[in-house]
Amino acid sequence: MTFECKDLERALAVPELLPEAREHAKLCGACRRELWLWSEMSNASHGLREEWESPELWPRIREALAAQQKAAKPRPQDWRLLAGLAAALVVAVSIFILALSRPAPAPRQDSDFLTEQALREVERTESAYRASIEKLSRLAASKLSGSENPLTIASREKLLMLDGEISDVRSTVEHNRFNSKLQSELAVLYREKQDTLKEILQSAQKN
Amino acid sequence: MAAGRLRGRSDADLIQASRRGDLSAFEEIYAVHAGRMKSVAFHLLGDRADAEDAVQEAFLKIYRGAGAIPFEAGFAPWMYRILLNCCYDAGRKRRRQAESQLDAEPAAASNVPLAVALRHALGRIHPQYRMVFWLFEVEGFRHSEVASILEIPEGTSKKWLFEAKRELKRLLTETRA
Repeated sequence: MTFECKDLERALAVPELLPEAREHAKLCGACRRELWLWSEMSNASHGLREEWESPELWPRIREALAAQQKAAKPRPQDWRLLAGLAAALVVAVSIFILALSRPAPAPRQDSDFLTEQALREVERTESAYRASIEKLSRLAASKLSGSENPLTIASREKLLMLDGEISDVRSTVEHNRFNSKLQSELAVLYREKQDTLKEILQSAQKN
Repeated sequence: MAAGRLRGRSDADLIQASRRGDLSAFEEIYAVHAGRMKSVAFHLLGDRADAEDAVQEAFLKIYRGAGAIPFEAGFAPWMYRILLNCCYDAGRKRRRQAESQLDAEPAAASNVPLAVALRHALGRIHPQYRMVFWLFEVEGFRHSEVASILEIPEGTSKKWLFEAKRELKRLLTETRA
């Protein structure tokens, strides 16, 4: 086979053809420049590596590791506070929409009855929400089981932690059904669990 | 991979020791990998402080996940996979794009004009091709390692490197024409 300029690209993809390409380049200036640029890119790329001293980085990591080991439970972070507010808002809006969609108000209701009614709405919403999350959990379970991917392990640990917290808060709520703060806290935890499950499923889809 | 043996102790020994809470063993792992991890993170985040934060986050996750390290698939690729995820998270959170590094000063290079042009051209090619080019050509990983880090077949790593170089060559030729 006679090597021609049009064969150069194939030669760059197939290293076995490079000797022929080099022979051809001895007589062809255009191909010589192409070959030179091809190898020079590799040479020049070594200079792109970024190196700098960070004497404070390891001490920072060591401190963080020590703090991590000490902390039995993760502290609530700012984003959780925001998520809590958002979830409380979602619950409030759900109740409002449900209340608006009722056919007609009862002719006479005292304030206790209204409170009880609102609470039932919240409990119904929570129950439906919980059922949806359970569906997501079942979908995600197969992605989580048996995987040794560190991020999956982290997600699994997070879900276990959330389930524990949800169980704690729910048992407290059962003894104090009228405590709206506890209801909001529960909603936050459900939302977080939902987000975690979504991330797992999205990540599994990508892979 | 440079991490095969460190001061006579293998990665497996060091991780075992780390699991038992031996931070000096974990520091040895850090000492070997941190430099290259910072460079990779800098490439993705375009800022040294952000890169250090991402490396810190990665090491915390590596320590937490030490019990699940897949040695058969290679310890270093697993570490770099975690680092890349930390960088992507940081990039999303801070709304920074990898392209932001184009404004940074180039590192010392033997061929500075081409290195400058190459740095700019890298910002214009497909991110997947760019990542493979960076790991293989700049950081010196083998194709098997790049494939493991990016969770792609080795053949894909080779193909993407070729595509990256072809695109870069085209861009550099245009620039120099």
